[in-house]
Amino acid sequence: MSGTLVEGSSAHRTYRIVTWALFVALAVLVPFWAVQTPSFSIGSSTFTFSLSNLSHGVSYMVAVLGLGLLIGYNGQISLGNSFFMGLGAYITASLVVDNEWPYLLTLLVVIPFTFLVGMLVGIPALRIRGLYLALVTLGLAAVFPALVRHDQVSERTGGANGKRISSDLDAPSWLPLESIAETLAKIPLVGEWAFGEGRLGGREEGAIWVYLLLAAIAGIAFWLTRNLIYSRPGRSIIAIRDNETGAAVSGVNLSVTKTLTFGMSAALGGVAGTMYAMAVQFVAPDVFGVNLAIFLVVGLVVGGVGTLSGAVVGGLVIVFVPLWASQVESVPGVPERFLRGPTGSFFLGVLLIVLTFVLPGGVVYGARRLRSRLVRVQPSRGTAVPDDVIDVQEAAAEGLLSRHDPSRVSGL
Amino acid sequence: MELFLARLFDGISSGATYAAIAVALVLIYKATTLINFAQGELAMLGTFVTYVIAVEQGLPVVVSLVLAMVATAVLAAVTERALIRPFDPSNHLPLVIITLGLFLLINALAGMIWGYDPRRFPGIFPADDLYTFGIARLRWYTVGTLVTVVVLLLLLSLLLRKTKIGLAFRAVSSNLESAGLVGVRAGPTLQFGWALAAAVGTLAGVLFVSDPVRQLDPNFAQRVLIFASAAAVLGGLDSLWGALAGGLALGLVESIVVGYVEWIPSQFGLATAVFVLIAVLIIRPEGLFGSKRVERV
Amino acid sequence: MSTSERSVVDGSRPPDGMPLLVLQDVYAAYGPVQVLHGISLEVAHGEVVVVLGANGAGKTTTIRSICGMVTARGSVKVAGEDVVGRRTADVARLGVAHVPQGRGTFADLSVDDNMRLGAYTRKDSGVAADIERWYEAFPVLGERRASAAGNLSGGEQQMLALGRALMSKPKLLLLDEPSLGLAPLVVQSLFERLGTIKAEGGTTMLIVEQNANLALAIADRAYVLEAGTIALSGTAAELQEDDAVRRAYLGY
Repeated sequence: MSGTLVEGSSAHRTYRIVTWALFVALAVLVPFWAVQTPSFSIGSSTFTFSLSNLSHGVSYMVAVLGLGLLIGYNGQISLGNSFFMGLGAYITASLVVDNEWPYLLTLLVVIPFTFLVGMLVGIPALRIRGLYLALVTLGLAAVFPALVRHDQVSERTGGANGKRISSDLDAPSWLPLESIAETLAKIPLVGEWAFGEGRLGGREEGAIWVYLLLAAIAGIAFWLTRNLIYSRPGRSIIAIRDNETGAAVSGVNLSVTKTLTFGMSAALGGVAGTMYAMAVQFVAPDVFGVNLAIFLVVGLVVGGVGTLSGAVVGGLVIVFVPLWASQVESVPGVPERFLRGPTGSFFLGVLLIVLTFVLPGGVVYGARRLRSRLVRVQPSRGTAVPDDVIDVQEAAAEGLLSRHDPSRVSGL
Repeated sequence: MELFLARLFDGISSGATYAAIAVALVLIYKATTLINFAQGELAMLGTFVTYVIAVEQGLPVVVSLVLAMVATAVLAAVTERALIRPFDPSNHLPLVIITLGLFLLINALAGMIWGYDPRRFPGIFPADDLYTFGIARLRWYTVGTLVTVVVLLLLLSLLLRKTKIGLAFRAVSSNLESAGLVGVRAGPTLQFGWALAAAVGTLAGVLFVSDPVRQLDPNFAQRVLIFASAAAVLGGLDSLWGALAGGLALGLVESIVVGYVEWIPSQFGLATAVFVLIAVLIIRPEGLFGSKRVERV
Repeated sequence: MSTSERSVVDGSRPPDGMPLLVLQDVYAAYGPVQVLHGISLEVAHGEVVVVLGANGAGKTTTIRSICGMVTARGSVKVAGEDVVGRRTADVARLGVAHVPQGRGTFADLSVDDNMRLGAYTRKDSGVAADIERWYEAFPVLGERRASAAGNLSGGEQQMLALGRALMSKPKLLLLDEPSLGLAPLVVQSLFERLGTIKAEGGTTMLIVEQNANLALAIADRAYVLEAGTIALSGTAAELQEDDAVRRAYLGY
């Protein structure tokens, strides 16, 4: 079964509105389900899906988004976003604990600060490109844990022990979370199965509130980034990725655009750090090291390099693959002490390599290819609507990880 | 003066091990203009294999080292064939991603097999001092490491200059297309480069943990990789002897900066390396001894 | 094509008189850009064949399709073996030496190493002697044997590239615009050298060239390529007399 929709027609508009409404509804309702900590079992292993893990994942979505802006859209291979995420997380932790700021207010410090530091890193990146930039930024990621352990700052950072944030985020009383939960539970057939009895304690309400806040921040971050990509500066950013010389010749100011992109990517990393502090309420030096830097790359590749929506999948993968890997109780033929080891990193590493081979466009392209079998969107003729432009760009992005580039011309 | 000598000896010994890993990076870079982010982890794996053969099987350390070098060379050759060769060498992103995947994979695998408790490594050099000047101890380890690395470089130079596979290797790194035109098969040649680099890396890892003040755990190579990269870039990424000079310079900078500048705590050695890396890439991207041809790609 | 056109009859030729190189209906493209639209040509043992054509006609692509340097469809046979889809190095091992456009020397390797690489596929012991012989013919190369090939002048590099190609004792020598970027006098001596190589016998050559005058002078036969198809073919003498060829490529 497959239908054809003409781009810009009312049917196409309805289709888009319905799919978006479904996505938003899912994003808003999922905490009421996840707060019950649903689980599923395979063999003797039980895999959980808890709301706190989900919130944790939402913070990584924004970090992957920032990385994707830099690698996927601007073509600068940087691995340092864990550094900026760490900065954001530590600034928030310190301001909330030591200065008793509310969480959200810390964004006013985190965003400008990480933006500026990102620009500072971006300036040498103008002269350092490709693999060297990857190397330098990986070094930056490796330095972060030592930085927060430094004696001079350990009073504020908590040094090697990390810093616990005890300030809880309580749901505001005007938000009728309880009655929403009750209503959901009353939905015939699926209500009780999906949402339990619909009774929420203070802790559950708080968890739902944190999730909704984070989802809102993430929503704003994605919306702003999308607008940026579709805008004129966004086209400059992409032009640099596709052909740096060509972009310069067409009047794109390379150094300004690249430095600003670096700053924006870093600011997204910083926001992700604040979100991490809100979700986990604990920051420690080794969380924001080389492994996280690479995890963010895994998230980017799994979701799809050169897509925005891929970051949603990527953020979840970074949390749930290690979580579920650690919940495996036994695998025939594998010694148990192996399963107690760093299975999460192991699987993420395998996933990274396997995906680069079998699905270089990531999950998002896989999903799009599936969808295109069901619904075919026909471009309206004549007008070049922005979506067309982006589709072409994304087709180019799909080639970012391709194994061979047949279009290299060297003399006829 | 004695303190200075002590710092000097420390710097030389760690610098020589950075140089050895840097040499492994240079071998891969020369052949493919690729930086293998998993190089340090391969060295870590080789070091653990040496440890297992020497301590658990009871073979002499040097014999274990040779066996481990052969084993990691084979592993690297298989890896190159299966994971690297299918990709277009001029497109860096997938190759960066593959080597990062290997980094995670090997690191986690070692953690799963051997755990994270630090282990005492049976050194390959006598543990005592060759000579002492007050608090400055010239250790067998320092001299042994330096001599080993110099001998290694001499052997590698001979291999590259005087043998047919060396000639093929240099051809591939100089001009991939022309290498094909004279009948040099790039695949096997690069595979040879990966195997050689892995063997060199294993040697370097063993040298590093042979220092009685160090211990072996799955994470030791992460830090070394950053130092080695900085050393390789400082020396000029395509120069073997440059890697030695870069490694020694970095080892000395680390031990002297951390030793003399009071407000810089010991963890900041790593930050020094990153700083050197950035500074070299900005001021003199071809490094101290690299050829101009090596651009910032 | 009759046997009388061949100036040298190679003794190693297969008894059935099969040509050394046969291209049949070859198509080639760079990504979406189709460059060759069904090319057919052949080169017999010992023959020197020239491919003429304007910029962008597909001359280089023709040569690259023989060496597996561009994805081609159709049939390319070297000594009866189909080489379409083979890797460049494996085609080279069949006895095909290719001097690419821009000469393709190993710029940061010494002149000696370049020459030695030319003999990479050889197993015999005469390599050193052959290198010396080439240095005798071109003393400049001998004098600078230890310096990096990239430091040589354009003409010296072309002689080095030619020497390197001949070091493999090729059955088939492919030359891609050997005169490109060289001073007229150097081009003159280059073609004299090619004439000598031809006269010494044995080496079959396919030369892609814009300098039609010199190329036709040493060639047995020639093809004219236009927009990815063969527009004209014949003996060198016939083409030199052809009005269209004279106007387009000979300039008189």
